[in-house]
Amino acid sequence: MSCASGLQADCEALLSSFQETDNVRFEVFSGLWRDRRFHTIFHGQTRPLEKNKFTQKVLDLAWRYFLPPYTFQIRVGALYLLYGLYSTQLCKPKQKIRIALKEWLEVQRFQQDLINAQHYDAAYIFRKLRLDKAFHFTAMPRLLCFRTKKKVRETELKEEFKELSNRVSKLITNDVLEEMMNVHDHYQKMKCLISTDGSQPDKALSLIKDEFVINIKNMILEYQQWQQDKMKSSSKAKDSDEMTDKREGGTSQDSEGSERANALAKIKYKSYNAVAEASKSRRHRQVKLESSESGSDQGKMKTPRCKRSRERSQLTQKRNSLETKDRRQAIKKEAVTRNRRMPVIAEENSSEEDLPCPKRKRTR
Amino acid sequence: MAGSSGGASGAVPEYEVPELHTRVFHVGSFGALWKRSLPGAELAVQGAAAEDGAAAVAEELGCGLETAAELRAVCSIDMLKSPDKEEDPEIISEDSSLVTLRIRKKALERREETIIVDRTCRQETFTYEMESHAIGKRPKDPADLIEEGELFLTLNIFYPVIFQKHKDHKPYQTVLVLGSQKLTELRDSISCVSDLQMGGEFSSHPDQAPEHISKDLYKSAFFYFEGIFYNDRRHSECRDLSRTIIEWSESHDRGYGNLQTAKMEDYTFNDLSIKVGFPYLFCHQGDCEHIIIITDIRLVHQDDCLDRTLYPLQIKKHWLWTRKCFVCKMYTARWVTNEDSLAPEDPCFFCDVCFRMLHYDAEGNKLGEFLAYPYVDPGTFN
Ligand SMILES: [Zn+2]
Ligand SMILES: [Zn+2]
Repeated sequence: MSCASGLQADCEALLSSFQETDNVRFEVFSGLWRDRRFHTIFHGQTRPLEKNKFTQKVLDLAWRYFLPPYTFQIRVGALYLLYGLYSTQLCKPKQKIRIALKEWLEVQRFQQDLINAQHYDAAYIFRKLRLDKAFHFTAMPRLLCFRTKKKVRETELKEEFKELSNRVSKLITNDVLEEMMNVHDHYQKMKCLISTDGSQPDKALSLIKDEFVINIKNMILEYQQWQQDKMKSSSKAKDSDEMTDKREGGTSQDSEGSERANALAKIKYKSYNAVAEASKSRRHRQVKLESSESGSDQGKMKTPRCKRSRERSQLTQKRNSLETKDRRQAIKKEAVTRNRRMPVIAEENSSEEDLPCPKRKRTR
Repeated sequence: MAGSSGGASGAVPEYEVPELHTRVFHVGSFGALWKRSLPGAELAVQGAAAEDGAAAVAEELGCGLETAAELRAVCSIDMLKSPDKEEDPEIISEDSSLVTLRIRKKALERREETIIVDRTCRQETFTYEMESHAIGKRPKDPADLIEEGELFLTLNIFYPVIFQKHKDHKPYQTVLVLGSQKLTELRDSISCVSDLQMGGEFSSHPDQAPEHISKDLYKSAFFYFEGIFYNDRRHSECRDLSRTIIEWSESHDRGYGNLQTAKMEDYTFNDLSIKVGFPYLFCHQGDCEHIIIITDIRLVHQDDCLDRTLYPLQIKKHWLWTRKCFVCKMYTARWVTNEDSLAPEDPCFFCDVCFRMLHYDAEGNKLGEFLAYPYVDPGTFN
């Protein structure tokens, strides 16, 4: 097993056990950290360069769990993990956590979510990292050096940490539901206006069930619940009844101050997380599209169909950008003959390595 | 300015090819966007730490004073430390459950068994020193302090490929430049043997050789970024090296679109539109080409070297193999001879002292037949 995969195993084991507690308190996390004596992960390194590189690597790994598509619980766990790793590292000066500009919006939104849901400990820790200047504000998450290094394969991180995603929840988001509701209301009113009795539409115009939006919502929630249960029971051979019990009364360990808010936030995340997440990412994409489309069609009433066609054009755009990969050219260097008078020197066929030590040491 | 797209939407770097390089973005606008996104205290490169009292916490998080005070204790780093026993961070404890530590322990044991440790260790120490020698430095003159919000660009500058063995693994140096620095400041900092190359055969008058250093003779150079050649036009004798390329491109309709030229001395890195991770070019001495890759751009941090005068700052270089004198086997070669009646091989390399001792008498008269050329070793800048 390589060092990188060992590191991933350790981080995921810690995050997994945090996930199992079904709790987002730092108190709980720090207990798990202490049990494993996780700070010793930096021990046994005597060379400073090695130390720096390892620390960069582990911070980079932890950072990846902090961003979507990971669940709220894992993201909070990742924040605590980053805090722990940053604070207990042995480098001087401390290695920094890299934030890319494109991630910043997401990070800020997460901090706002923490504050709104009154997860004060998590919000406090993020604030503390910022005060401690633990971040490098960068262009991209990692350094990019074209193909000069052997291609580093992006390792797949634990699938179970990810927010459940499926086509249904991507298609029908909170936004879409809201819009459907608006369109439906609007439609009802229009029908009333042209009806003989102004307060309700004529029978002949009643072509759609009145509560269909609510029905759709319920069906989606039901589907998600089913999917969640399926996921849990397949990943663990636990009694499913016990799971539901735990889920319903799991907030008892929380500190009193934020208990109620916690419970509320949990209920919210439990029932809406997949829906809410998808809608966010969608909103984000929309903004991007609008800015590149010189802002036409910004009216509030957008029909779902219009949105869908936009999404499709997004997909084709993505495909196009993939194709440019093939067009990448290798850089070739042509040998140019010098026209100045130069000596004839044959290429040395030595396989000798470059001398690592500076000249002054050799000539002494 | 040429090549600047300006707008905020184009200033957020995104991948064009995942994990490889970004789309084109304007460096200055990117920096401005970060600056706008962060409060002043977070940008500051010096000064007192921001307010961390309970009142500040309570206000920012919207919680009560009591909760704020409590948070400080609950979230303390001490919560992560195991108080049970004293430990030496250099030693891996036996009973750890961490996979990382088991792997590291094995690697350390293996390392102890082999002898190469000393050499890799020395090499590593040197790389580390190179990387960190300037960290935390402050200028003597406060006017040279790097301002908050300044951008740091990390550049890999590749050596021209001179050895066959470097064909696949090209050596490079890494430098840090500031967004507000001019392209010419980078150009002047790039050290390359071809600048020291001396053209010509000097066997009859070896003392004249040093007068003909290429850097002084051929001052032209250009950078190429995103369709624009930035030519060094500071000296009247500088030629527009890019003109031939542009004419070639246009005359054959090569499909490279509109290639433009600009003056290197008029542009800072903030003025450029570039892709991070994409290969560009630096060309000097007519045909000495160096690939340049901007691997990273970020805001300056208070732990960085904040002395502006030390930039461009070299933080990594490659040790090139050096040719030694054939006679003393000690000093780096300064001369190379062809058709040398006094030498056992052709070509043959000599340091200055051995070369003169062997090839000239006390009065400086040439002995025997040979052609002599000044030789600049690629490892000169080691
Ligand atoms: Zn060169
Ligand atoms: Zn010698």
